[in-house]
Amino acid sequence: MAAALPHHNGTTITAAAQNPTPEPKPITPSELRSEFSHHDPTIARINNGSFGCCPATIIAAQRRHQLLFLRQPDDYYFNTLKPSVLRTRLLIQTLINADHVDEISVVDNATTAAAIVLQHTTWSFFSSAFLPGDAVIMLHHAYGAVKKSAHAYISRAGGHVIEVHLPFPINSPSEIISEFRKTLQIGKSNGRIIRLAIIDHITSMPSVIIPVKELVTICRDEGIARIFVDGAHAIGNIDINVKEIGADFYTSNLHKWLFCPPSAAFLYCKKSDDDELSDDLHHPVVSHDYGKGLPTESAWTGTRDYSAQMVLSEVMTEFVSRFENGIEGIMGRNHEKVVEIAEMLVASWGTEMGAPPEMCSSMAMVGMPTCLGIRSDFDALNLRKHLRECFKVEVPIYYREVHDDCSTTGYARISHQVYNVVEDYYRFRDAVNKLVEDGFTCARLDLQK
Amino acid sequence: MMDPPPGVEDPRAPAVNGDTNHVSKKLKLSFITDSEIREEFAHHQSGIARINNGSFGSCPASIIAAQKIWQLRFLRQPDDFFFNHLQRQILHSRTIIKDLINADHVDEVSIVDNATTAAAIVLQHVGWAFAEGRFQKGDAVVMLHCAFQAVKKSIEAYVTRAGGSVIVVHLPFPVNSNEEIIAEFRKGLARGRANGKKVRLAIIDHITSMPCVVIPARELVNICREEGVERVFVDAAHAIGSVHVDVKDIGADFYVSNLHKWFFCPPSVAFLYCRKSPVSPDLHHPVVSHEYGNGLAIESAWIGTRDYSSQLVIPEVLEFTNRFEGGLEGIRKRNHEKVVEMGQMLAKAWGTNLGSPPEMCPSMVMIGLPSRLGVLCDDDALNLRSHLRDHFGVEVPIHFQVPIDGEIGAMDGDGCVTGYVRISHQVYNTLDDYIKLRDAITQLLQDGATCKMLQTE
Repeated sequence: MAAALPHHNGTTITAAAQNPTPEPKPITPSELRSEFSHHDPTIARINNGSFGCCPATIIAAQRRHQLLFLRQPDDYYFNTLKPSVLRTRLLIQTLINADHVDEISVVDNATTAAAIVLQHTTWSFFSSAFLPGDAVIMLHHAYGAVKKSAHAYISRAGGHVIEVHLPFPINSPSEIISEFRKTLQIGKSNGRIIRLAIIDHITSMPSVIIPVKELVTICRDEGIARIFVDGAHAIGNIDINVKEIGADFYTSNLHKWLFCPPSAAFLYCKKSDDDELSDDLHHPVVSHDYGKGLPTESAWTGTRDYSAQMVLSEVMTEFVSRFENGIEGIMGRNHEKVVEIAEMLVASWGTEMGAPPEMCSSMAMVGMPTCLGIRSDFDALNLRKHLRECFKVEVPIYYREVHDDCSTTGYARISHQVYNVVEDYYRFRDAVNKLVEDGFTCARLDLQK
Repeated sequence: MMDPPPGVEDPRAPAVNGDTNHVSKKLKLSFITDSEIREEFAHHQSGIARINNGSFGSCPASIIAAQKIWQLRFLRQPDDFFFNHLQRQILHSRTIIKDLINADHVDEVSIVDNATTAAAIVLQHVGWAFAEGRFQKGDAVVMLHCAFQAVKKSIEAYVTRAGGSVIVVHLPFPVNSNEEIIAEFRKGLARGRANGKKVRLAIIDHITSMPCVVIPARELVNICREEGVERVFVDAAHAIGSVHVDVKDIGADFYVSNLHKWFFCPPSVAFLYCRKSPVSPDLHHPVVSHEYGNGLAIESAWIGTRDYSSQLVIPEVLEFTNRFEGGLEGIRKRNHEKVVEMGQMLAKAWGTNLGSPPEMCPSMVMIGLPSRLGVLCDDDALNLRSHLRDHFGVEVPIHFQVPIDGEIGAMDGDGCVTGYVRISHQVYNTLDDYIKLRDAITQLLQDGATCKMLQTE
């Protein structure tokens, strides 16, 4: 079963996951193409960040699991389901350096994980453990869905939401640290208590790596009792060491950068001496196992297709292991390549990157020429659509509000994953150069409606 | 030919996705053959008498194939699918459902994962009402004693925890008529309200799970209205594809049914019908995403990156049901007839009775197990079920009916009948499946086996 699992910070790999088998043959370029032959071949797909990807081998593994359930669902439910989820959880524990598998729950996605953590906070308000006006601090660039969740579960319950505005473009992590510290101080003034911090590990738009370890330390120093790190993009993209990071909750999607099919994610909940905290986390979809702990509750939320949660083992042994240095190798090469490509693009367009290489993961923010006239979120979306339809390039674009006429207002978030080739980015480079040549502006897209 | 629901011609709106190869009134030259049916379910484990369609449903091969096409469309170019296709297709599915269940507006139809999720939506809404002072501590929620365990837990998680109280209504089983159920419900509700509690919500099953009986939902909803119950939620997890569903006729505020149980969808998909009302804007999916505040149906159509393919095959499923004589109506009528026939065959062979009269059975029937088997607790029922699976290749759920104090329940020649099997009939079942069960039980009796002995396995 499990062949060469990536070693991580010297943690022991459990016996269940260890099984001496011969090293898998390295994947050839033609095999790699074959693994992703289901991708639309006409598209330069440089947006792995949004929806991830899934190799053919894993799609096949997922089908096997799906058919196993359909074949005899009662038997599967009683005898196979929980051990299979446990296998996934054990693997995740290893990958992120968690202490106990009890700390790992498998859920659909980071959005669900956020709902779990935030609903838990709602109950603290309901029970008056938290009082109206108590606050939650989060980044201004937090993912849109998480902000909505904060509104739905925190603001509605009487909590106050403090947003930390981070500079972008950015030159170093210290800028983030000082902004965070500053906002925290302001937030705490007048004696307001901050109950929860939600910190992205890698922000979505604009995408940068956040110095979470330092921010968690600051939060602890300031007496914030609960810290939730939203690492939606992190696993398979950058190193995760939850013990080192020190947060109470950490979530990441397995389908973005770790090759699982849509969709699967984990929520890590540090075992705590605070009973109220550990015992009281619940999945919002309540089923038979309510009260038996979040991992158990999450493993059954009614009849569902759980197959996406079952294939992590195959991902590691049948796919990742075929790459040099496994997942570490993939992460390192993706990062190197995306930085190299970002530098190529900015050189060609005469723009800049939004962040220095060390703050880029397998994604980078690349300034778009200002003459394109990106004046709003709407323009950014329209330009994205235009690039998709007319140039067959799939890339998300971030709009940044400025108060002068010459600053960069648009940044493309380019991704690099194992299936990408340099031609994908040449096509993007040339598309933008053509737009500039043609005197294109986003205002033109308004007229086309 | 399938009778379309009242007031509907073709449930598919060609304008929605431009497909013109879905036609509800196609002239049928031939219906699906037995051998084609076998092929459609060839992925079911052979050698197992699969008489438990009720728990997890079933999905034909052509729908699995259709689902795969949708899955690959997403994987092929997910951004394009997300921006240009997904919402349109979900709306198409919702429109088909709206017509199937006779809802007034497609806004009233949300698609969710399963009935368990629907319960969480409705009950979370109740929880907020308590927390925000619209409901007072002690205000009540009514549920049936035999409500599905997940729903009971959801009530605990969202109602009890928020300060609400719970009125539990016991319905008789075995049962002889709708009148018994109606009378018991009326009594139970009145008793529960005796101390003047305000009843904010009643949760009524349309078809109870265990023990399985068709409940006269419309009558119970009327009683709730008469008794001043503010809102009624009908948990019809088993209903669509097994009984006629007309949400306006039933008249509840909320109605949920799973589509993967009796409507051939892959796991998993359900609809939650919410009658338009002032509280509609306040119903939310608990997994909050970008569409929060845009209405439950829109919220439910995007709860983060997921595989939504099971929600997209509803048009193909409708086509599948139309390959059968009488379409969905024909399927459920024949399932009902067959399951009653099988039930009577088994009851006769074992010297026991059905748990309810045929008209109160959907595509499932409860049949008393011989008392000699000694099903004396829930664990006995579970052990016997495992034993039947492992040693006889029969998959059938077993219910332990707690004897009610002071009442003599069903009896057979040897004592009190406390165990019941719940047999299902779906299009893939054959006579052999039930003969296998009949003979398995007969064998156990011959061997003098009791559940107590099975404990040691």
